[in-house]
Amino acid sequence: MSSTFVSDSLAAIPPRRGRRSSLRTWRWSDRLVLLAAWVAGLSLCAITAAIILYMGYRGVQYLRPGLIFSRPQVSKDQAGSGGFLDPLIGTALLTLIGIAIAAPMAICSALWIVEYGHGGRTRQFLTRIVESSIEIVAGTPDIVIALFGLAIFQLHILAFVSFVGEGGGVYGKSFLAAGAMMSLIALPPLFVATRDGLQAVPAHMREAAFALGKTRIATIRRVLLPSVRANIATGITLGVSRIIADTAIVLVLLGETLRTEPQGGVPGLGVLRGTGSTLTSYVYENSPAGEGAAPQKAYAAAVVLMLFVLVLNLAVEWITRAQARSSGSIAIAGGIV
Amino acid sequence: MHRIRRIAASLAAVTLIGSAVPAIASATSVITISGATASYPLVQLLAHKYAKLLHNKVSFRISQGGAQIGINDVAAGRVTIGDVSRDPLSTDPPGLVFYPIAKYAICVVTNKANPLSNLTEAQVQAIFTGKDREWSQIPGATATGTIDLISRTSTAGVLTNFKTLFLGNKSVSKLAAEEPSEGLLEQQVVNDPKAIGFLSNYRADSGTVNPVGYNGVGCSLANASSGQYAAVARFYEVTKGKATGAAAKFISWIDTSKVAKKIVASQWIPD
Amino acid sequence: MLQRLRKPWSDNRAERLLGAVSFLACLTVACMVVFVAIHAWPTFEHNGLSWLGSGGSLSEQVERMLATSANPPASAFHIRVWPILYGTLLATGLAVLLALPLAVLSSIFIVELAPAPVRRVMIIVVRLLASVPSVIYGLIGILVLVPFVGAHLVTSAERTSLQNTVQLTGAGLVVAVVLLTVMITPIMVALTCDALGAVPAAWREGAAALGVNRLRAIRAVTLRAIRPAIVAATVLATARALGEAIVISMVSGSVFFAPRPSDGAAFLLEPFRSFASTIVDFREGLGAPALSATLYACALLLLFSAFALSVAGYLVKLPMRKYQVKG
Repeated sequence: MSSTFVSDSLAAIPPRRGRRSSLRTWRWSDRLVLLAAWVAGLSLCAITAAIILYMGYRGVQYLRPGLIFSRPQVSKDQAGSGGFLDPLIGTALLTLIGIAIAAPMAICSALWIVEYGHGGRTRQFLTRIVESSIEIVAGTPDIVIALFGLAIFQLHILAFVSFVGEGGGVYGKSFLAAGAMMSLIALPPLFVATRDGLQAVPAHMREAAFALGKTRIATIRRVLLPSVRANIATGITLGVSRIIADTAIVLVLLGETLRTEPQGGVPGLGVLRGTGSTLTSYVYENSPAGEGAAPQKAYAAAVVLMLFVLVLNLAVEWITRAQARSSGSIAIAGGIV
Repeated sequence: MHRIRRIAASLAAVTLIGSAVPAIASATSVITISGATASYPLVQLLAHKYAKLLHNKVSFRISQGGAQIGINDVAAGRVTIGDVSRDPLSTDPPGLVFYPIAKYAICVVTNKANPLSNLTEAQVQAIFTGKDREWSQIPGATATGTIDLISRTSTAGVLTNFKTLFLGNKSVSKLAAEEPSEGLLEQQVVNDPKAIGFLSNYRADSGTVNPVGYNGVGCSLANASSGQYAAVARFYEVTKGKATGAAAKFISWIDTSKVAKKIVASQWIPD
Repeated sequence: MLQRLRKPWSDNRAERLLGAVSFLACLTVACMVVFVAIHAWPTFEHNGLSWLGSGGSLSEQVERMLATSANPPASAFHIRVWPILYGTLLATGLAVLLALPLAVLSSIFIVELAPAPVRRVMIIVVRLLASVPSVIYGLIGILVLVPFVGAHLVTSAERTSLQNTVQLTGAGLVVAVVLLTVMITPIMVALTCDALGAVPAAWREGAAALGVNRLRAIRAVTLRAIRPAIVAATVLATARALGEAIVISMVSGSVFFAPRPSDGAAFLLEPFRSFASTIVDFREGLGAPALSATLYACALLLLFSAFALSVAGYLVKLPMRKYQVKG
């Protein structure tokens, strides 16, 4: 009698969304796994917080606004060694070159695969090849891409990218060389973002355009590309964050000079053919792994780098949130792979 | 729309051509240098001063890697000048010309928590060849436990000189950590209270490590300049065949100019 | 001609142009393999596949390579890189082994267990971790973790017992593995989370209807269903760990040494080198032809391992095709 009363009143309580009430019925192994999952998640948070707080602490210690606007100087002690304006400009320049080369390649490839990639067996085979190639580029370590860049840019045909040294050997290291290889780094995220965006465009938009008599290329220009603007923006932001974070290509292909050293007389082209440094190589060279002379400057530059990364992350977050609001999905992987 | 595009395109073309004309008239020459990490600070200071004096008509590209890298690069024609921190060896490729520019001292260094004041030649050899492995075997050392040997990779000229000047041409023990640069060696000694290594006087004097005296003489710039400290070696600028053109002018500027000598004398020993 | 270009393009011309640009990517990959192989060929010509074996002191062999510049004799190319191969496999293997459970548990936490505000924070956290540059991980490693390990985890007894074999300075396997794990976990978490989100709700509701508690349902149903995604995540993470050069170069101790499990706990504290970190460490020596060939051979090996991993992942996923969940 009383048991039915208890169960009836229990049934009258609206079911709680949480799981605390049922935890007591679980086996120990399940509770252990639950605990482990919580610990795993929270430890990731703790690690991130530790990294950000530590870099913030070092930044407050060492970062001064003057550092951002003064050029690096040659000097023994930290006080006279200047700031990192040249590395900052170097990072910006490399990013521009990398994206300028990668964006057309990625967008054209994505368009070709999505719009023209269907058809017979040969067409599908070719599509497979292009997609596999971009996957292979995505999976290649950046040090291998750097060595490849050195191998091709030290050929005499491509001597215009850098310059020819005294003994007849092509130097092979310049902003153009490093930027060209950086484009390979930025290509996969851009391609994947654009392709996913194009595939998500509903078929009826294309069909409506065709019904109005537009050619395929006109549809692409007027209908499809504008509708995937957000995806392209996300892709570019991801590509940019990968470029500014890359160190190996810069170490091998940028000549590692403290300041931007233009090559030849023409002002714009001279800088492109010249050598320089970026924030990442500046951090590496000033850390104990490079010449170790200025760990404080390394920390300051590292903090600026982290700030850029944070800002880019916020940008990606903002764009994907805007997109998710209109399409309704948790797209985490799109932001990372 | 089309008119704006045409105007923009023609403006861009004019700017590009217009800016190129005066620039083509004044050509800059490039001197590429690579080699020793020990002489890098000196060569960088000299190059910076020289470029400023010539109103940036000359630009330098200086990279590092070790004295052997400098020799390899200059012999292959990849760079104009090689920075070398050791004397010429018989195994060096033929046709290289060595121009001495400065002298430097090599100091044995320990961590500041281990203020060892002096080591004799026999002690240095016993430590670095791996015969003595415990700090307790070294009188005057406050550290305890195993000795951590920090050395350089085989490309380093400082290592070659260290072997000649301190070890009587014996090899450093295989147990030693091989650091690719002076900066890294310094960092390892700073981080590890049980470490011992060797640095050029430029780094050993910087106050982060404890320079150890050798055979009764303290290792400092003053002692090395006066000749009291025995372990002194040379920095060379190496070219393939005799130096020509901009490189020859730079090297002769280092040899003759008072400004260059002042730079050398600030942290090193003029030759 | 400008008039002709200004007219609307025909579909055929546009298609051919787009197709040509797309094939630039394939051309790049082909060139990459060809050029790296050409530069690596001298090593294989002189050593064959026993290049990967063991024999002799690796640092002496590298020193001999550096001492020869133009036209090196055949003996200069002799090298046996087993310690590097072993170090690479060890670091990568241990990192993936640690990252897999961490990533799977974190993904379960994010998708199933976390309250909504915590989930939003976790997504930001994972994305942030994935985009931290490797040079910053290396900086924190070499300035914070290595001195900590050297001062607190390396005991004098271990140092003394190994004092005639190798020096324990704190820079070694454990710091490298920890940093690698932190670097590859976000990638795995991202892919696993997406796959977890794609599992149809009906499957979990079915399990709940059968009286299975939440975690059991995840274990029995969801995890099984996302196995293709876990495989893909592992492949991606392994490729990333294999190719990581900067972090390992900064914290691994940079010694050509094969860590010995027989040393017990000290095994984790021993220094090592990986293929990628060897290339970075000796990048200045690319002027010596013998050393350049060896470094390019290391790069070729890394390239092939990236291929092999993708193929292996594809093959492992084939029998899992029967699950409809997108992998």
